[in-house]
Amino acid sequence: MSNLLQEIEAQISGAKAATAKQNVGVVREIGDGVAKIEGLTDAMLNEMLDFGNGITGLALNLEETEVGAIILGDYTSIKEGDEVRTTGKLLQVPVGKGLLGRVVNALGQPLDGKGPIKSDIAYPVEKIAPGIIKRKSVSQPVQTGIMAIDAMIPIGRGQRELIIGDRSTGKTTIGIDTIINNARLNLAAQQAGDTNYRALYCIYVAIGQKQSNVARVIGVLEEAGAMPYTIVVVAAASDSATNQYLAPFAGAAMGEWFMDNGMDALIIYDDLSKHAVAYRQVSLVLKRPSGREAYPGDVFYLHSRLLERSARVAEKYGNGSVTALPIIETQAGDVSAYIPTNVISITDGQIYLETDLFYQGIRPAISVGLSVSRVGSAAQVKAMKQVAGRIKGDLAQFRELAAFAQFGSDLDAKTQAQLERGKRIVELFNQIQYNPLPVEVQVVVLWAGQNGFVDDVPVAKTKDFQLKLTDFMTTRKSELLARIVKDKELKDATVTDLKAAVTEFKQMYR
Amino acid sequence: MKISKRAQHDARQLFRSCQVNGLLDENRVRQAVTLVLAQKPRRYLEILSRLLRLVKLDLERRTARVESAAILPGDLQSDVANRIKKIYGDRVDIAFGQNPALIGGLRVKVGSDVYDGSVRAKLERLAESF
Repeated sequence: MSNLLQEIEAQISGAKAATAKQNVGVVREIGDGVAKIEGLTDAMLNEMLDFGNGITGLALNLEETEVGAIILGDYTSIKEGDEVRTTGKLLQVPVGKGLLGRVVNALGQPLDGKGPIKSDIAYPVEKIAPGIIKRKSVSQPVQTGIMAIDAMIPIGRGQRELIIGDRSTGKTTIGIDTIINNARLNLAAQQAGDTNYRALYCIYVAIGQKQSNVARVIGVLEEAGAMPYTIVVVAAASDSATNQYLAPFAGAAMGEWFMDNGMDALIIYDDLSKHAVAYRQVSLVLKRPSGREAYPGDVFYLHSRLLERSARVAEKYGNGSVTALPIIETQAGDVSAYIPTNVISITDGQIYLETDLFYQGIRPAISVGLSVSRVGSAAQVKAMKQVAGRIKGDLAQFRELAAFAQFGSDLDAKTQAQLERGKRIVELFNQIQYNPLPVEVQVVVLWAGQNGFVDDVPVAKTKDFQLKLTDFMTTRKSELLARIVKDKELKDATVTDLKAAVTEFKQMYR
Repeated sequence: MKISKRAQHDARQLFRSCQVNGLLDENRVRQAVTLVLAQKPRRYLEILSRLLRLVKLDLERRTARVESAAILPGDLQSDVANRIKKIYGDRVDIAFGQNPALIGGLRVKVGSDVYDGSVRAKLERLAESF
């Protein structure tokens, strides 16, 4: 018994609260959301720093005698001489399904007034992208619901496809359409009890956008019923540059959780031009050396490490994916500027939107010649491949012929036929915003166009023909559409039925 | 004062030349300052203010500041000094001070390392945990 008492006494004396060693520094300079701190000899790069009163910072510059840190939150209450502590933690954001349907800031804190985020897990904002062993090539499609994209520039799960164009050319709309379409597919699969369907969760990251624009996007998503499958990360134009710099990384961390748990996620970075500008501001205030257009030397690495985090991982590692749709805004169509060329070289293709096409009424204003998807065709649905295999080449040829035909009117019959069909195909690809089309409808419409069923319809009535054909197919031939969805290809019997159905429709069409 | 990169570089060189076996020699520092003031090289004020900062940081690194709410008795002071020297070596200077705001306990600061066992720090931690 005496031994037992001694043991307990020894344990109690050993359990005396030990004073932990802390690493502290003193604020020497503060301004523009950046603090220079003397001391903090043990600070790590990207470590969170505690400024007291619930204010945190991020150590970005480790110098000989001081540390340069960006402040996350209100920096106006920090004074020269304040004590700062290291925390030993990297910056983390909450992740998980609890964030779906929510609007959060760059730190994962709610902005929508719907109460706290229900999440027990947090992921570091900066994370090394999956390595080559973990990765698998792209093989599953992302259905954008935009016919021009799904047919000619297909996107696969795990791909990084850049959306690039001038202001007001419909860049954000492509992202929003994709979110709406995937929410519809997710909901349909959920209602049908289809367990084989891999839901695609979407994350929309608004960087440096006007608050009114972000509110409009959220409104559109809510109206379309897409919010339950979507996370919106906002670092608006009025937020600090540091938050704008961190927002896409926070979005990537949220997407990675889905990937690590065997699910698929899609992230839209809207837009990376403003992200580069925010990073330039942070770097210049931190007195980092500037390079071309005053951007810091690591602006390429900034975007490459962000976009490299999009991947499709192999079955052995969870079979999840993160697809990225970064957006870049060009100035007067200049794709050869610094940031656009950087991001073009990082991504697996680009969708180039042209102002001229937009004002000609071609919407989405996709420039077929300059847009490309380097890996997406491997993921395209076979039925779509069958009908759209040659369409990109044909359309590019049509554009050339159309330009050439302006110089003279004497054209041979074949060229004229090509021009006439081209005009109708361009009309078929026109699509109103926030109205994505299911893939089976796209297949039927393109099949009809490719097989000459639209050739005798006046160009002005092509859209009307398409809408009525879609109505006819969805109401009277839904079994045929369901068969295309099920088979995922156009078998001979399906083609025969399709021919009969479209012929039947044409007899009725006025 | 804005200190140019050149002046920073010169100050760093001057600081290194004042070290003997990795330790700052106070006499050398005094001599160096007198010499610079006598010769007045280009940007000598920038160089000296940067040197002052480097010396200040070096001294802070080598000085342990022990604060307590009340003045510590002699035997406790020597016990604390021995423990600090065990961790940071014999070359550390130890300065004892009084800070009633600590309420109780000790706060030791060596460079940017802080061991805060004061009552105030414990109360602050408790407040943060709420």
